Amino acid sequence: METSNLVEVTSTRVRNFMLAPIRKWLLIGVALSFLGIFIFIPLLAVFSEALKKGIGLYFAAIIEPDALAAIKLTLLTALIAVPVNTLFGVIAAWGITKFNFKGKNMLITLIDLPFAVSPVIAGLVFVLLFGTSGVLGPLLEANNMKIIFAVPGIVIATLFITFPFVVRELIPIMQEQGSEEEQAALTLGASSWQMFFRVTLPNIKWGLLYGIILCNARAMGEFGAVSVVSGHIRGLTNTVPLHVEILYNEYNFAAAFAVASLLALLAIVTLVFKSIVEWKTKRNDHGER
Amino acid sequence: MEMGITLNGVTKVFGAQAAVQDINLEIPTGDFVALLGPSGSGKTTLLRMIAGLEGLDKGKIFFNGVDYSAKTVKERKVGFVFQHYALFKHMTIFENVAFGLKVKPRKWRPSKKEIREKVFELLRLVQLEHVADRYPSQLSGGQRQRIALARALAVEPEVLLLDEPFGALDAKVRQELRHWLRDIHQKLNITTVFVTHDQEEALEMADTVVVMNHGRIEQIGSPQEVYEKPANAFVYSFLGRVNEFRGAALLNVSDKEEAVGYIRPHEILLSKIPKRYSVAAEVSHVHAVGSTVRAVLRRLDTNDFFEVEVALDLYRTLDQFTKGALLYAEFTNIIVFKEKEKLGRSMIVEKVTGEAFSALS
Repeated sequence: METSNLVEVTSTRVRNFMLAPIRKWLLIGVALSFLGIFIFIPLLAVFSEALKKGIGLYFAAIIEPDALAAIKLTLLTALIAVPVNTLFGVIAAWGITKFNFKGKNMLITLIDLPFAVSPVIAGLVFVLLFGTSGVLGPLLEANNMKIIFAVPGIVIATLFITFPFVVRELIPIMQEQGSEEEQAALTLGASSWQMFFRVTLPNIKWGLLYGIILCNARAMGEFGAVSVVSGHIRGLTNTVPLHVEILYNEYNFAAAFAVASLLALLAIVTLVFKSIVEWKTKRNDHGER
Repeated sequence: MEMGITLNGVTKVFGAQAAVQDINLEIPTGDFVALLGPSGSGKTTLLRMIAGLEGLDKGKIFFNGVDYSAKTVKERKVGFVFQHYALFKHMTIFENVAFGLKVKPRKWRPSKKEIREKVFELLRLVQLEHVADRYPSQLSGGQRQRIALARALAVEPEVLLLDEPFGALDAKVRQELRHWLRDIHQKLNITTVFVTHDQEEALEMADTVVVMNHGRIEQIGSPQEVYEKPANAFVYSFLGRVNEFRGAALLNVSDKEEAVGYIRPHEILLSKIPKRYSVAAEVSHVHAVGSTVRAVLRRLDTNDFFEVEVALDLYRTLDQFTKGALLYAEFTNIIVFKEKEKLGRSMIVEKVTGEAFSALS
């Protein structure tokens, strides 16, 4: 009885061992095919669809005035939203990690709000605030200011949506580093600015860059919130993602995909940047510990 | 005008608990002071308050007679050395040491050449000239702490503050750095305050030892003073190994309940034959490594254990006793303290003579 048990145990173990490589390749295969079906093929489709009617038409779709206006607006939005959110992200992360105050956890939760709420709701909130029938509507109208269905609305919605990226990236890094190096800088006679630029910033630079890259990708690609506040006025309040949608709805597939390919390119560039930064961070960590 | 650092009723409260309570302390210029105490005694907080890294809740701090209580870290011009070095990871050793010079306002900033000379002078002082181009991660702990000191000295501070400077280092390096730091202090004669929980370190290095407990100062004095004339039970027991006796064992003390008697292991006299006031005891453990021999003995009358320490030659005259041997111990120099407050503050009531002790045993 005992011997047979022993044999059985051994054989199971051997079988397990033999199965291991098969299981490993099965898992990897599933993951890869999922990735292929849901990410790689669509990406490929975007480019093939865009170039279907020839390279000439592809560029024509991109340099068409409305498309150019959309690209300009998207760049402008990102140019405002990314620096602003970088600045506030650094300030918020600094405040949260270096000081203790009441309501700190509440603040951390609030920072996550743009991630938690649907972008459409975020857009609607701003319509309710700044729209003609909104809370601040009459005030804005009296001063002849237009936010909703205008560029400011798009910028504000983008600011809201992309706020968490930099903060979220910085909080764990700053928490881990503590403040001893900064205190050392102060005892050596550095001013607050010198401390920040010579000690704090070099220590968080890779994390900060990572946050900025993600923030930028989202700022350029945001659809939901921007769509609600934009009003879709061609050549005026259309960002690249909104322009793609308009073209698509007009059955202008080649042009839609041509413009969409810009966003896809942006995504690829972002990913390349992101992996460079990740590689740099890892190398730094390795060298410094 | 008094020179050096003066602390007047300095208090710091964290939440509901006072980390540092009503500290009065005078540190003369050029003194080498150890703030000694167990963890949580407030010694690091006190040091950080002197540096300006921690604010005061009450009291005042004077540097050379000038009220510095409201001055910023930057204005105080102190050199501060952290337990975990706090070197700038992304800078080379040269840049680390040069930092304090490079951040000076343009008016007072030395030229590049002067900075270079000063940095190498300091690197020579800490004997690490050859690592100037390396990064902190490429140095050992002892080397990093020496660089941290060089960096602090670069700005020519009037006061050098060190927070458990050797706490993160291994025993051998720690021993080396103790001598080295003393040498540096002798060379530069800069007022130095360092925090430690290691009584040996404090007694060996400092001119003045400040013993702290529960945010208060228990005693201030030279190493000999605090070791030989401890002000209270806490100081006595914190400064070295002790055997403790309580209650009924202390026969001729009036308030037996609150009294505690102490004797250090090396003060217990051992002999092979019974003496007038001796107590018979059996050896239960012997630790014979080094110049002294430590042993744990059990009193045959009360079954209490106590620790003794004898010199190696004396150990030989005692036939190099081993576990199970029978010896006679004399407790001739017990110090009795009476606890006055809960904080471990107490006072000497009287010294019990050997006679009184043996009368009860």
